[in-house]
Amino acid sequence: MMAEAIKKQGIKEFITSIPFKKIGLKELFGFEKTPVNILIALSVIAFLAMFAIGVTTYLMHGHHAYNVTREHPWGLLIAVYIFFVVSSTGLCIVGSLGDVFGFKDYMMISKRAIFGSIVTIIAGFAVIAFEIGHPVTMMIYNVLTPGLTSAIWWMGTLYGLYLTFMIVEFVFLLKNDMKSAKIFGLIGLLVGLAAHSNLGSVFGFLNARPISNGVFYPTYFILTAFITGIFIAFIMMGFRYKLKFPENAKIMLTNLAKIQGLLISILIFFVTWKMLTDIYGSMPDRADVAIHILGSWTFWAEVILAMAIPLVIILASSGRAVNTLFFASLSGMIGVFFMRYNLVHDTQLKPLQMLKKTEYQLSPEWIHYFPSSAEIMISLGGLGLCLAMYYAGTKFFNLDADEHH
Amino acid sequence: MANYAMALDYKNCINCKACEVACKEENGVLKGADKHRIWVGANEVKGEWPNLDIVSATFVPSQCQHCEEAPCQDVCPTNATYYNEHGVVLVNAEMCILCSYCMNACPYDARYVDDRTATVDKCTFCSDTRLARGETTTACQNTCPTKVRTFGDLDDPNSEISELLRTREHFTLKSHLGTKPKLYYLT
Repeated sequence: MMAEAIKKQGIKEFITSIPFKKIGLKELFGFEKTPVNILIALSVIAFLAMFAIGVTTYLMHGHHAYNVTREHPWGLLIAVYIFFVVSSTGLCIVGSLGDVFGFKDYMMISKRAIFGSIVTIIAGFAVIAFEIGHPVTMMIYNVLTPGLTSAIWWMGTLYGLYLTFMIVEFVFLLKNDMKSAKIFGLIGLLVGLAAHSNLGSVFGFLNARPISNGVFYPTYFILTAFITGIFIAFIMMGFRYKLKFPENAKIMLTNLAKIQGLLISILIFFVTWKMLTDIYGSMPDRADVAIHILGSWTFWAEVILAMAIPLVIILASSGRAVNTLFFASLSGMIGVFFMRYNLVHDTQLKPLQMLKKTEYQLSPEWIHYFPSSAEIMISLGGLGLCLAMYYAGTKFFNLDADEHH
Repeated sequence: MANYAMALDYKNCINCKACEVACKEENGVLKGADKHRIWVGANEVKGEWPNLDIVSATFVPSQCQHCEEAPCQDVCPTNATYYNEHGVVLVNAEMCILCSYCMNACPYDARYVDDRTATVDKCTFCSDTRLARGETTTACQNTCPTKVRTFGDLDDPNSEISELLRTREHFTLKSHLGTKPKLYYLT
C-alpha cells in the first residue's frame, strides 16, 4: 500500500507532501499564559533538565548511579519503560477504534491517539536506553545472534516494528488516506498487542518467581493497556478542549467512560482472583509474597487511584461526568504508574537465595529497593520528553479529525 | 567432549570460605560482598532452647548449577549466555547487553555484574583459567580443606564424580523447576 503510494508520487514527493504547519520558533513556544499552562511548561523544562542531569550521572557512574543490586537488578527505569509502552499500546487501541474498526464516534481522537502512541513509546525507549547497559551492542546482536527463546528479544523486536507501523499509520492519517491508514493501523495494532503481551511474558516466563510466573501478566497487560489508553484519551481531550467539550467529544468520552467502567471492573475481578489464588494453599514463595504485597502502601495506591476512584465516578454518573473523569484519569495515571512499579518490584521481593551468606548479618528476608535520585530524574525526564514531543506535535500537526469526519 | 559437573559432600563443609577466596583470587573476581561467583550459605540452628535442632545447622556451599536446561540461557536476548562444548554455561561479555534478565531468571542467584566490563558474570568452572591451563580441578575444589567438592566428567564412567554419584545418595537444588542442575549434593 505504502509502496503503491510511493510509486505513484516518488519517495521525495511522498515525504514532502506530508501536511504539517510551517511555524517559526515564536509560534512553537507561544502558548496561552494561564497559570496551569505556565506550571506545565515550567515542569516540562525542569523534567528535561533532570533528564540531562540523570543521564550525565549515569554516564559517569554506570549502574552505580542506580539503586539496583544483585538481588534487585530491575529498578524504577524498567517500571517507567513499561509505563510508557503500556500507554503507547493503550493509545494505539483507542486510536484504532475509529480508523481501523470504523466506529465513527471515535474517529475524532484517532490521529491524536496514534500520535500519542508514538511519543509515549519514544519516551519509553529514551528511558530504557539508559537502563540497558549496552544499547548499541543490543541492536547489533539482536540481529546477528537473536535469542528466539527470549521474551525480551520478541518484545523489543516487535516494539521496534510497532513504532514503524505507527509512524506510517500517522503519516497516512495526516494525508487523509484512510484506506492505507486502516491497513497499517491494523498491522500496527496486531504487532503492538503481540509486543505488549510479550512484555507480560517477560515476567510470566520467570519460573524462578512464582508470584509472577504464569499466564496472568501476558493477558493482564493487554487489559491494563486499554484502561491506560482511555485514561490518556480523557487527559488529551481535556487539555484539547480546556474541559469545555463540544457535543461530539462528550458523546465519545461518555462512551469511552462506559467501556472503562467495564474494563476496570474486569481488572478488579482479575486482581482479586490473582491474589486469592496466590494466597490459597500457602504455597511458599507465592502466598507469603502476596500477603507482603497486600501490606504495602504502593499496592493500595494502585487500587485506590487507578481502580476505585475512576470506577466510583463512572458508576455514579453513568459515565457522563466527563469533566470529573478528566481528573479521575489523572488519578488513574498515577495509579497506573504504581501498578507498573509494583509489578517490577514485587516480582523481585523474595530473595532467590535464602541462606545467610556473610557473617554478622541476618538471613535474607525481603529485598528492599528505593530508586536513586538519578533513576527518579531520568524517569521524570522521560515524562518531560513525552510532554514536550506531544506539545510540539500539537503545534506542527493538525491532530483533530478532518472536517468531513 | 566432557560433560562437566560437580558433586558436593556439603555436610563436610566447615564454612572456612577458602573456596570463596580461591575463586576470587584465581578468576580475578572483584572485591565486594555482592561480587561473588560462589558462596557458602549457612542454615541457622532451628528451634528454641532446649529443643534446639542441632543437625539443622548446616553449611551449603553453592554457585552456578550449570543447568542442562538453564533459564538464564533461555531468556538471553542476544545468546550471550551459551553452553560450551563441555556443557558449561558461560557468558560472552562482548555480546552481553546487561539487560539483567538472566539475573532475574536464574533461580539460584548465581549471577552478578562485573563492574569492569559492565556485563553479567558467573562461575565458569574455571574454564578460562585452570582448565585452560590443563588443570583438572577448579580453584574452589583445589583449596577445600575438607574435600567437599569433586569436579569431573559425568560422561566418563571412571571419573571420581561418576563413582560418587553411583554410590552415594544425592539431590539437586530447585530441580522441580526443570533446570536439570549439575551441582549434586551428596547425602
